Amino acid sequence: MLPPLFSRRQSAHTHPTGRFALELRHLRVQFNGRPALEDLSLQIEPGLRVAVVGPNGAGKSTLFNVLAGALAPTAGEARVHGHLPAQYLCLAYVPQSSLIDWHFPVSVEDVVMMGRAGRLGLLRWPADLDRRLVHESLKRVGISQLAHRPINELSGGQKQRMFIARALAQQADLLLLDEPLAGLDIPSQEQILQILDTLHDQGITVLVATHDLDLAAEHFDRILLLNQKLIAYGTHTEVLTAQNLAQAYGGHMQAVETKEGKLLIGDMGGHHGHDVEGRHG
Amino acid sequence: MATMWKAAMASWLLEPLGFEFMQRGLWVAVVVGIVCALVGCYIVLRGMAFLGDALAHAILPGLAVGYLASAGERVSLFWWALGTAVLTSLGIGALTRGGRLKQDTAIGIVFAGMFALGIALISTIRSYAVDLSHFLFGNILGVTTSDVWMTTGVSLAVFFVILAFYKEFLVLSFDPLLATTLRLPARWLEILLSILTAVAIVVSLQTVGVALVAAMLVTPAATASLLTRNLRAMMLLSSLIAAGSGIIGLYISFYFNVASGAAIVLTCTAVFAVVWFWWQFRNSARRA
Repeated sequence: MLPPLFSRRQSAHTHPTGRFALELRHLRVQFNGRPALEDLSLQIEPGLRVAVVGPNGAGKSTLFNVLAGALAPTAGEARVHGHLPAQYLCLAYVPQSSLIDWHFPVSVEDVVMMGRAGRLGLLRWPADLDRRLVHESLKRVGISQLAHRPINELSGGQKQRMFIARALAQQADLLLLDEPLAGLDIPSQEQILQILDTLHDQGITVLVATHDLDLAAEHFDRILLLNQKLIAYGTHTEVLTAQNLAQAYGGHMQAVETKEGKLLIGDMGGHHGHDVEGRHG
Repeated sequence: MATMWKAAMASWLLEPLGFEFMQRGLWVAVVVGIVCALVGCYIVLRGMAFLGDALAHAILPGLAVGYLASAGERVSLFWWALGTAVLTSLGIGALTRGGRLKQDTAIGIVFAGMFALGIALISTIRSYAVDLSHFLFGNILGVTTSDVWMTTGVSLAVFFVILAFYKEFLVLSFDPLLATTLRLPARWLEILLSILTAVAIVVSLQTVGVALVAAMLVTPAATASLLTRNLRAMMLLSSLIAAGSGIIGLYISFYFNVASGAAIVLTCTAVFAVVWFWWQFRNSARRA
């Protein structure tokens, strides 16, 4: 079914139906015959903050692409608020910063306004409503003063906040963030996490792909541990067990009980390369 | 002294305008320059310069066949060229789908094959070789009144399509995955943008020819991209540079007897070179 292209979209697909924000049924994705995701079944309730963790190549970005509707699963099904992903409008994603051309000649405000393009419909120009939403979105992530800056003058944290503002302007109720904290300093990470908390207060479901198990355990309601297959989904105490981690990271990651709590030791095999990934109680 | 110099300058500028073929040529050079500059902004931002060049070369067999079929009649040649360009861009798209071939590989194969086919066809039909060489290198001074009308009409159409789909093309160029999550018809927009590229190339055949069209698409837009960080300003500057280069190039062609297409493209290149060195200088001054 085609959405109404030339008018403002207010179709049924902007209203959530169904109990789960996200439901995967035996989802499988293959590239050239090689499996990227295998038999993924999962239900996520609305309003949760979910950290998606796993080693490099675990299929985190693939999963996000399926949820965004950019990639059709080989088998099985994904449902976003009861709808097929490619038909659901209230979903936004924050791309990996490295995939964006930061010399593109647009301002912060222009990028956030792009979030309105889907609702506007073809052949329509932004109205007061759209400008107000853009303005409010920028204010909510605290970068109103940067509205007219070219995007290549932003810091790493400001770039992420700009994309979160764009997601807010999209009026999304499901937000996918691909490695939003990678390469940020601690204060910037804290700011992003605070903004995610305010989204949580508004009932927006947030999925964050991250390498940082420590942050995942500390700041998220649920952890989804992935390595092509679903290893575990639940709270951090349920998910971050020695057995699960060994299964996901193939013995490169261990959970050791110490007096201070659980200590995660491992090498991520990828660009991180820390020995001690983090610690939590 | 000053008045004499002024008078000489004025007559130098006005003399070419006394010729009707120069009036038509100047108008077409300006209009075509602007269309290429606008479409070129998207091409430069999306890193598709190679596709532009390939499409320009790939229409040669279409021109050759069209020439045979229509006995050189301009309007039908236009449709032959446009059809070939659109088919070529769809063909490249089909080859890259499924991910087995990378896009620049597919472009390379199709473009070289089509261009070879064009040369083969032309070489078998010797008597047409001279006329067809106008399409290779442009022949702006042979622009007829009906060419002027057609070029203007088609260019206006391209202009309005870009205006109508401004925000969609912007999203598609900046962040294709956003176009998908906004549920924009991304595939159709891609095709529309390649059709616009094809149209821009076909209307420029008479000014600069197949061999040099890519410069009209890329050089003014790239020059403008060094001067501004705002897409609308980039489009405006790019158009001004292209239109100005068209006029200056034709004057050079008139007075120094240089091929018109080459003169226009060289003017664009000179403007780019000046801006590039200014840009380098400014950046190193900032760093210091």
